[in-house]
Amino acid sequence: MKIVRTEKLTYEYIRRDEEGNVEGITTAVDQVDLDVEQGEFIAILGHNGSGKSTLAKHINAILYPTEGTVWVDGMDTNNVSQVWNIRQTAGMVFQNPDNQIIGQVVEEDVGFGPENMGVPTREIWERVEESLKAVGMYEYRKHSPNKLSGGQKQRVSIAGVLAMHPKCIVLDEPTAMLDPQGRKEVIRAVRGLNQVEGITVILITHYMEEIIHAHRVFVMDGGKVAMEGTPREIFSQVEKLKNLRLDVPQVTLLAYELQQRGIALPDGILTTEELADALCRLAGRKE
Amino acid sequence: MSIILDHINYVYGGDTPLEVKALDDVCLQIPDGQFMGIIGHTGSGKSTLVQHLNGLLKATSGHIYFNGEDIYDKDYSMKKLRSKVGLVFQYPEYQLFEIDVLSDVCFGPKNLGLDKKEAELKAFDALRKVGLPMELYYQSPFELSGGQKRRVAIAGVLAMEPEVLILDEPTAGLDPKGRDEILHQIKQLQTETGMTILLVSHSMEDVAEYVDRIVVMNKGRVMYDDAPKKVFSNYKELEEIGLAAPQVTYILHELRSRGFDVDTGATTIEEAVATVQKALPWNKRVFYNTVQK
Repeated sequence: MKIVRTEKLTYEYIRRDEEGNVEGITTAVDQVDLDVEQGEFIAILGHNGSGKSTLAKHINAILYPTEGTVWVDGMDTNNVSQVWNIRQTAGMVFQNPDNQIIGQVVEEDVGFGPENMGVPTREIWERVEESLKAVGMYEYRKHSPNKLSGGQKQRVSIAGVLAMHPKCIVLDEPTAMLDPQGRKEVIRAVRGLNQVEGITVILITHYMEEIIHAHRVFVMDGGKVAMEGTPREIFSQVEKLKNLRLDVPQVTLLAYELQQRGIALPDGILTTEELADALCRLAGRKE
Repeated sequence: MSIILDHINYVYGGDTPLEVKALDDVCLQIPDGQFMGIIGHTGSGKSTLVQHLNGLLKATSGHIYFNGEDIYDKDYSMKKLRSKVGLVFQYPEYQLFEIDVLSDVCFGPKNLGLDKKEAELKAFDALRKVGLPMELYYQSPFELSGGQKRRVAIAGVLAMEPEVLILDEPTAGLDPKGRDEILHQIKQLQTETGMTILLVSHSMEDVAEYVDRIVVMNKGRVMYDDAPKKVFSNYKELEEIGLAAPQVTYILHELRSRGFDVDTGATTIEEAVATVQKALPWNKRVFYNTVQK
């Protein structure tokens, strides 16, 4: 079952001057075909302005295609009567946690979504409890959100989306403002949702280390999908990624630099373990 | 001359039940021309600390000396201080407002009382220093990419020709290339002009690559204050306070535990490559020149 599907998705911004005359057209997303299966963990990379956020906003009907079609769980996003169903199916988490938290108490904030959907009170509390437990924030349920760390706030935002029981969560640079610990917490929570709850995850990020566990990676450039593959396939192409203003995880880069100096290591090493194993084999040591 | 922080304390909501000690007896000396990194988890007091340096926040107790003068002196001019100590906030591009890039960068120097021509000269110079292509100078700042907007915002502070430039997470939200470009430009600024630079960052890899000295903040106190290598050798303690060492440090520790004789003090990719290469048996080491044929 395809949870998200786009066909020739194109989105154009019309640029206007001060008098409102059309100055030109910018194509932010250009003929993108995307297929995401239920339960997949998808990562989207791309430099600033490559169109990844614009693409993401189509998945929960914040933006509508200029041309082409987007289906979310079989629903066409151009069908206005389905907008609320689409937004419940595909939840979205943004970069800045402070812009997404509205409640005075953590559990109230998480309850906001289901309450708006008209879920019966008793069930709201059940959903709040399970969502906070899923992101590891249950013990903070009575706290004030503004006393939490960045990573904790972001996990509360994720719980808020989770409480609406989405099939798919789109996260647009959820860790950009967080410290290393906060980044780890958020990514761990996201992976948990995908593996334990089976929720489809679409993660947009600039941190290459965060996506080594993704099932598939899409790299955007100029509104088009420039590369597609598993993390290992993508990160094997160090030069190509650098040309697209991206990077690889430090361990991959270290392996690549060693390779460049003639040391016989395999392509696309993703973890410290893999590098250590490969070097042990090379040095004729026991792994 | 230099900046000296002498037993700085800062308390939020004093005499209320919500009292928080945001800075706790901070003593620092920042010599001229240094590139210093400040790291700490969210809420550790980094931003509070840097906002003291240009007088945006006033310490509850303690003294700050800038070029030998106490900035809390009655006759000390805060305006002068702010022209000497430039602060670039997080997401500074949200503060852009003018109709074109050049006018935006002129705003600071004009406010310091310079006439239009002088202000424009300084603005040109600043935009050149941040490496913004000339053809963008008369465009609306809102049509630029994220990385370009951020450069314009940094230029806006540079145009005031500060002696000290403080950047609060200048690379948050930028793509990897944009991160490298901005940090590279900042480093160049420091070497060319001898400006003192303070970089607040959440990216351990960036800090390890660029700065001369790292101050680690925890619960409003200075926990470590040393060269990057020394600071990152305490990676276990750093993890306990929500930070980490650069990824290479972990790789090298793993290799060491598997019997490779690598230097675990390496904090950048280049250093790591060198030490791993050295630790391999000689017949597995292939030197660059031989591969190049």
